[in-house]
Amino acid sequence: MRGSSVALDATLVARAERLVLPSSRGMSPADRLDVYREQFWLRHVPSLEEDYPTLSWVLGGPTRFRDLAIEYLSARPPRTWDLQRLGEGLPGHVADHAPWSEDSLARDAARLDWAFMEAFDAADAPPFDPSTLSAAPEDAWPLATIVFHPAVRALTLAHPVHELRHDVKNSRSPVRPLEASTHVIVWRDAVCCLQAIAVEGTALALMAMLIDGAPLGQACDAVAHLVTSSEGSDLGPRVSAWFEQWTASGWVSAVRFPA
Amino acid sequence: MGYRERYAIPDLGIGVGLRRPHVAEVLNKRHPLVDWMEIVSENYLAEGGIQRSHLEAVGGHYRLVPHGVSLSIGGTDPLDRSYLARLGSLVRRLDAPWFSDHLCWTGVGGIDIHDLLPMPYTARTLAQVAERVKVVQGELEAPFALENASTYLEFRESTIPEQEFLAELAERADCGILLDVNNVFVSAYNHGFDAHAYIDAIPADRVVQIHLAGHEDKGTYLLDTHSDHVRAEVWDLYRRAIRRCGAVSTLVEWDQSIPVWDVLVAEAAKARAVRSETLGSSETRANGTWMTAL
Repeated sequence: MRGSSVALDATLVARAERLVLPSSRGMSPADRLDVYREQFWLRHVPSLEEDYPTLSWVLGGPTRFRDLAIEYLSARPPRTWDLQRLGEGLPGHVADHAPWSEDSLARDAARLDWAFMEAFDAADAPPFDPSTLSAAPEDAWPLATIVFHPAVRALTLAHPVHELRHDVKNSRSPVRPLEASTHVIVWRDAVCCLQAIAVEGTALALMAMLIDGAPLGQACDAVAHLVTSSEGSDLGPRVSAWFEQWTASGWVSAVRFPA
Repeated sequence: MGYRERYAIPDLGIGVGLRRPHVAEVLNKRHPLVDWMEIVSENYLAEGGIQRSHLEAVGGHYRLVPHGVSLSIGGTDPLDRSYLARLGSLVRRLDAPWFSDHLCWTGVGGIDIHDLLPMPYTARTLAQVAERVKVVQGELEAPFALENASTYLEFRESTIPEQEFLAELAERADCGILLDVNNVFVSAYNHGFDAHAYIDAIPADRVVQIHLAGHEDKGTYLLDTHSDHVRAEVWDLYRRAIRRCGAVSTLVEWDQSIPVWDVLVAEAAKARAVRSETLGSSETRANGTWMTAL
């Protein structure tokens, strides 16, 4: 990676001369300091690339990803001991900085890869206990709040990029997908495997509101305004079906009713 | 009474560092040639998730000891209390016999560059680091060992040889030492000091653990890459160290170009053979305790 990142400038070379001893093996103070500069990039760029496999593929591979990583790390040096969070700002950087921002697939890939990172070590939660529902009166449901597992992430994307990630991770001849609005849930399943699946847009809209803490009734009313009148008429059964999917998939960890 | 005796530091035998490519191998069974495992603390400080679930599974088969890289004990930024709280929780969860980190700093002004940066060895830095070690030990209430890091530069300001600095620091702060004999070799080459004299200057009773690893020759310097087998010269230093320290928990690290599990186990088996041969002992494992028949 030598040469692909900023070399020591004259000020640093002068400081090294003042503070650091030359080595008996012919290394100048600046050479010795440069070992650490080089290691910074060798440590962080591959770490980011491992965290962002889909984005790296979309950009065309390691060389261009390295350009992005060096630009990102130069603008935002790591401020946490936690290497898992090294790429926390990369989706925002890709969205805000050309040329990366000009590729909507790159923007999607960055967001999806980061959702996987967040799901990886999000807090644990006990599995949903269906017996907690049996005592709830029917009229308590509109005020119920649904607690989702901390590892669940809901994304609306411009491409089915979760399928691309699956192909990239499994070396299955990935193909750049065409644009198609896609709603994706990323989560960690009961055996701690990371998963992603496309869901209906309306279901994701409802989930997003519930994740933000809206009571079920209020969230359903808001979603009813988003759908056509014919879709709205059968929203109740669809919400029931979605709830079954959410609980069966381990996305819901609890349902809380007002006291 | 020596440090190891005062703090009832056990000899765990021969271990290896737990790395992600080997998790599947060790999740469900214990290998007879691996007595214990060291984990990189920072990989297991999250509130939940995949790594943590692995830890619980592996912990069912092996004694686990946390080894950190982010404490920045030699730094000037305040100690990160939130990091310490998480580390303390990990140490308690594992019921770890000790925890360790490096004699180094990792960043300044809130920036963390995730490297083990060298520090000037002076009376002033010695006093500063000793105070920080006391704070860490006070917060975590568990034996703490500091490891000598591999370094690639020396400061003009330094007035104390590293081994004397480490020995005096351990004495003042009453902490243990994790003696990395590969790091001694690497730094000795890079800075032109005598590795054997370094080993001889370390207070033997404070050594709670020894690290072994491979390094890379970059021509004008050696780089501590943990990417290869332990070199013959480092095995020699290990022999010298255990002749002085006795049967101390020993661990093989391999972090880059990570080999298949069997290769790592074979390196651990070599450490066991070298240790037994050097100490003139035959070791058997009985009821979870290492018995050394001299």
